[in-house]
Amino acid sequence: MAVRATVEALLRERKLDRTLTSAIPERLGEDAVAPLGVDALDLALAGLTGPQRGLAGGLPRGQVSEVVGPASSGRTGLVWAALAAATRRGETVALIDTFDRFDPPTAAACGMVLPRLLWVRGQAVSKTAVAIDPAWLPGVRAVNGPGTFVERVIDRALKSLNLVVQSGVCTLVAIDLIDVPAQALRRLPAATWFRIERAIEGSDTAVVILAAQPVARSSGGRSIATGISTPGSRQEVSSRQGVPSRQEVPSRQVLWKGEHDRTRRLSGVRVRASISAARSNQARQLDFDTFCVSAS
Amino acid sequence: MFAALCAPSIPAAAILDVARAFTPRFEQVGPLVLLDAGGLSRLFGNAQELGTHLSEALAKHATAGGTAPRVAMASTQTAAALLVLGRPGLTVVEPGQEEKALAPLSVSVLDRYEHLRTSAPSHPSSSAPEHFSTPAPKHPSTLAPLAKWGIRTLGAFAALAGPEVFERLGDRGLQWQALARGIDARPLVPWVDEVPFEAALELEWPIEGLEPLSFVLARLFEPLSERLEQADRGAAVIYTSLRLTTKRVHTRRLPLPAPMRDPKTLRTLVLLDLETHPPDAPIDTVRVFIEPTPGRVTQWTLLERAQPAPEQVSTLIARLSALMGDTHVGSPRLLDTWKPGAFEMAAFQVSEVSAFAAKGRYGETSPKLAPETRASEGGPEVPKGQGAEVPSALRRFRFPIPTRVQVQEGRPVRIVTDRNGFTSGAVVQAAGPWRTSGEWWAESGQVGPVGQVGQVGKSHPSNQPDPPDQPHQSQAWDRDEWDVAMTDGTIYRLVVERGVGQWFLEGVVD
Repeated sequence: MAVRATVEALLRERKLDRTLTSAIPERLGEDAVAPLGVDALDLALAGLTGPQRGLAGGLPRGQVSEVVGPASSGRTGLVWAALAAATRRGETVALIDTFDRFDPPTAAACGMVLPRLLWVRGQAVSKTAVAIDPAWLPGVRAVNGPGTFVERVIDRALKSLNLVVQSGVCTLVAIDLIDVPAQALRRLPAATWFRIERAIEGSDTAVVILAAQPVARSSGGRSIATGISTPGSRQEVSSRQGVPSRQEVPSRQVLWKGEHDRTRRLSGVRVRASISAARSNQARQLDFDTFCVSAS
Repeated sequence: MFAALCAPSIPAAAILDVARAFTPRFEQVGPLVLLDAGGLSRLFGNAQELGTHLSEALAKHATAGGTAPRVAMASTQTAAALLVLGRPGLTVVEPGQEEKALAPLSVSVLDRYEHLRTSAPSHPSSSAPEHFSTPAPKHPSTLAPLAKWGIRTLGAFAALAGPEVFERLGDRGLQWQALARGIDARPLVPWVDEVPFEAALELEWPIEGLEPLSFVLARLFEPLSERLEQADRGAAVIYTSLRLTTKRVHTRRLPLPAPMRDPKTLRTLVLLDLETHPPDAPIDTVRVFIEPTPGRVTQWTLLERAQPAPEQVSTLIARLSALMGDTHVGSPRLLDTWKPGAFEMAAFQVSEVSAFAAKGRYGETSPKLAPETRASEGGPEVPKGQGAEVPSALRRFRFPIPTRVQVQEGRPVRIVTDRNGFTSGAVVQAAGPWRTSGEWWAESGQVGPVGQVGQVGKSHPSNQPDPPDQPHQSQAWDRDEWDVAMTDGTIYRLVVERGVGQWFLEGVVD
């Protein structure tokens, strides 16, 4: 015990005590989270060991969380839900949009209060933008520095993230790294995320990384993986020819409304998500549906 | 009774002197000076005589060959201002006859007055001195819809039914109509003498670079901030004028999102602005002028999270703008159009509207659920048997991706794209087509390629050349949209531009 106390004291002295499992709160309190406004998800985020009454869950403040998953798995919708819930509570939020994929009309239809959103638009990659210098793009300053065009775009997005979290202006900051190539993400030094974690430590800012694959998470943060597959589970489905066969259950199921070709509409997607965090041996799985909104 | 003076050929200071000679209660609105003429009849006679006195006083300052000064007298300041803008010489309107007198005036007069009201500083000393003047931006006509309706005069506009104006133009339409009838929107705000917040420093040696300039700015802003503090004022706009060794003057105008007077913040903001727009030669003289505004009142409710300080926000925005570009930082604002994905960028400002008001707004912009998932009484509901419900986001490609699509019986059945990271192959299920078109009635009426849909506003200013792979922008669109699911579960928003028959991937439903 004496050794442990000594080690913990040394870590605290070097301000590394956040890495201690004993420093992570077992339960999330009401004032320490940014709820998503989706009851079941918030509950799952609050108590990983089971439903606990009286607790408001959500993304923990002062921590870096991540939402990952394949395309059309509800990952972006989930982050939008968190941003929308925060703006409706009167908070100021930020979205670092690395490749300029955000669609304001749809976000407004999802309930996001747009004047409370600080939108930092990255560089939309056009057909020729990768090959040539982006200086010709109107309203965009040329980026000098080493690396490919995509790497420089990512670099600017991360610098923006640093500026936003250090300012303390926004209580929920999301960075969209979905379309960033995996190899470019791997090249990022680990200190990048430690710096972000250190900047928001003890503050009421929650950072959420939106990506296609796991990137980083702080010790007290949450990982939400959407669209996870369930290996081994198979179900009987009928093929187009009407011959039944057994196939693996897809990681996500597209929901349609209307039988006829002319009346069919996209209703949403049924997704399985997995929520994991430190101090929890087993990830909690949860099914949720996404619903389509009309932006017009 | 109010009087309005306008004399383009006379310096503004001379017009103010004339106004001051008649009454201490006057207000400047751009080039106009509005006087409260109440109680002057015992000194100058009736309205006609007072108007004559004012005209004569202005004529003394007029230069030969210049435009004759204009004077209008009316019982409301709005009527006087509109008449002085629309009629030459002296105009006197009897009380109750304002609407009749205004009726023949052109709607453009109202447009001009509206622009003056909204853009001009309301205080003479708060306007920038001449050496800080920058060319006025050309503003779009706010009353353009009236021209399309065939409304040419204020009388015709005033005769429209109020509810119908409100339906088409909203609150602002009603305000404009009230102005067209000569009704005042607010009382006259008399001018009070104030020493301009200005400081300058001539340097013994020219300085290069922004680091030494930082010390100079600190020295200028500290006394100015003290004076702002004493006067309970905050800076609304900072004008920075740098006289260069090339004898040129580099002038910057920096509007602030909220009144502030912290010298460090003001200095940082100016430096960041100059970092974005640096002078091209060493600096000889530094001069700053602050346009003051009443100090900020900060009162938060106990039930809400405190909003960030405007100083923090403006510093952050300035830093982000320096990094990403002016047009890439802000808040999106939706446009009143059916055009898919249309928006414009607006400045990000910390709203002082409480969350309760935001909830009210949310009520107006609550999630527009698809009919099949719409809850019975507003708001998303957890569906039966499911854990939760999350909105589907659309990740829109700003440069839609051209794709080859195989069509059977009018429906897409296979998609092929050569772009990495996008799914090609058979379409499992498709919903559509959802056909939309619009803006074909506009003057620049050619239907543009789908690549330009949704990219509106400051992000691509019209005075910039089009990028190499982005042809001329057009506002019109005519297209069919499809939601298609691929074999791997990815859902794309597929668009066919009907004019040219080209297919594009416009986004991913995520």
